[in-house]
Amino acid sequence: MSGPVPTEAWVILSAALFAIGGIGVLTRRSAILVFLSVELMLNAANLALVAYAKQWATAGVNVAMSGQTVVFVVLAIAAAEVAVGLGILVAIFRDRLSTDVDVLSEVRL
Amino acid sequence: MIVAPDNIGLTAIAPAFALLIAASVGLIVSTVTRDARNGGALAFLGLLAAGVLGVMNLLAARSEPFTAFGLQWSVDAASAGMVLAVLVGAFLAILTGWDAVQRTGMDRPEYYPLILLATMGAVVMLHAGDFVVLLLGLEILSLSVYALSAWRTGEHGSEEAGMKYFLLGAFASAILVYGMALTYGASGSFTFAEIGTLLADGSGGVLALLGGALVLVGLAFKVSFAPFHQWAPDVYTGAPTPVTAFMSVVVKVAAFGALMRVASEAWPAARPTMDTMLAVLIALTLVIGNLGALLQSGAKRMLAYSAVAHAGYLGLAVLAVGQGMATPTVVVWYLLAYTLMNGGAFAVLSEVMGNDPHGDHIESWEGLGRKRPGLAIAMSLFLFSLAGFPPLAGFFGKALAVQAAFEAGWSELAVLALLAAVVAVVYYTRFIWAIWFARGGKGEPQRSAPASWAIALAAAGTVAMGLFPDLWFGLVDGARMAIMAGM
Repeated sequence: MSGPVPTEAWVILSAALFAIGGIGVLTRRSAILVFLSVELMLNAANLALVAYAKQWATAGVNVAMSGQTVVFVVLAIAAAEVAVGLGILVAIFRDRLSTDVDVLSEVRL
Repeated sequence: MIVAPDNIGLTAIAPAFALLIAASVGLIVSTVTRDARNGGALAFLGLLAAGVLGVMNLLAARSEPFTAFGLQWSVDAASAGMVLAVLVGAFLAILTGWDAVQRTGMDRPEYYPLILLATMGAVVMLHAGDFVVLLLGLEILSLSVYALSAWRTGEHGSEEAGMKYFLLGAFASAILVYGMALTYGASGSFTFAEIGTLLADGSGGVLALLGGALVLVGLAFKVSFAPFHQWAPDVYTGAPTPVTAFMSVVVKVAAFGALMRVASEAWPAARPTMDTMLAVLIALTLVIGNLGALLQSGAKRMLAYSAVAHAGYLGLAVLAVGQGMATPTVVVWYLLAYTLMNGGAFAVLSEVMGNDPHGDHIESWEGLGRKRPGLAIAMSLFLFSLAGFPPLAGFFGKALAVQAAFEAGWSELAVLALLAAVVAVVYYTRFIWAIWFARGGKGEPQRSAPASWAIALAAAGTVAMGLFPDLWFGLVDGARMAIMAGM
């Protein structure tokens, strides 16, 4: 094997990660694991952004805001989400010693 | 290529900055003085300053966006008009909560600064000319609102609301970010207008469609389109009422502003398919929102489903605007009307509920007409307006949206919306009936002067917008016409 890895390969990998994350969100019962799955989805997007940035740079398309720069914005957003999310999680855990999302079903249709 | 930041447009970003400064100073002041209300007073100042600057933006609105650091900031008449709606919504919510927050022990120093930060996020979202600014605004708004939803610590409903909103909101953001990445892959740009131009020849293919669909799903969560609305009833019910008042209007205005801009600027290439997807969501939203509201006996849940139903009507207007078949003014008008009537309804609700997180049941409304005729009249006014009775603001909102849908050729959707409006009369009048004609009733509504001002202001606005629709239309449309003439 030689030559650069084609963009499609990166994007397929990122799509797989995104799907795994999505399935995780829908099936996991622990709030921490649900949140971890969301992080996986965000990082799948980052991988796609980097792959496409490389593709467009190779193709000679130069835009002021490239995918590589946006990755840092997404990383910062993910970090901010962790701060707020874990804060809420800790408040709930203190209250009832569980982070299971099934316990969080006091309010219903 | 490096774009020199010589074109930042300080006046254009001034409203957001005013809010940021007031929030930062307010946080310090209220922490040092140990009195949340100092931060609250600064919040009023910040909102006032942002309002003045926003009106200046509206009068000086221009069609060319500002570009700096490779990012775009649009300042057209529609965004300036929606910024005003956001500021009015935040103002009403702060007045509503002024006493309620203190009497339920939620007056921690961060409360008012967080509300201001969320408002700033909404302002950023409304001005976004590209996906990066949109994402930043969305997260500034959402993260603040997640924290505010869980604000009543020790109260299970509130903590759960925060957690649920956070997990589903983060999920939606991740979907939006992935859609954004795919759109970038298809077009090579993050700017809405550039994406629209680059993909106009259909070169994006499946990738562009998939990206567009994921972006739509991400935004559908935020505007609470069915079937992505499930968080709304739970979060609206669990969150403290003043916070619900805030998020039911501010988050909705910001998300619809963003959706409208994406639909009209970034979708031209994938137009028919994207519009069909949006139309399906709207149809589901109209049906599920209205039927769901029929089943509720708690006012908060009823208003939550009513918010979902109104998202359907707003969606109709956005659909028509995206196709260029209606002016953005229709959406701006509807959002302003919705802000006033919904903000007012939640202000009354907050008074009726008092300190009881579960005091929104229909029993609490019985006999309100005898106990507090003023509150009862205001609530009836808001509910009639939400139901779409002329000559109140809500009537013109629904009428304009349905008319726009007809003109854009979505006659089936428009007929469905008309039928839904008939169903809506049932669940709103059920509460009005309880207020005026039902015997019994428990609990004594609170008496809070600031909340009364909020109710009076919202009621006056709801009536004035209904009686003089031309006046408001002229304000926003006039600015738009001025731009057209100058082009």
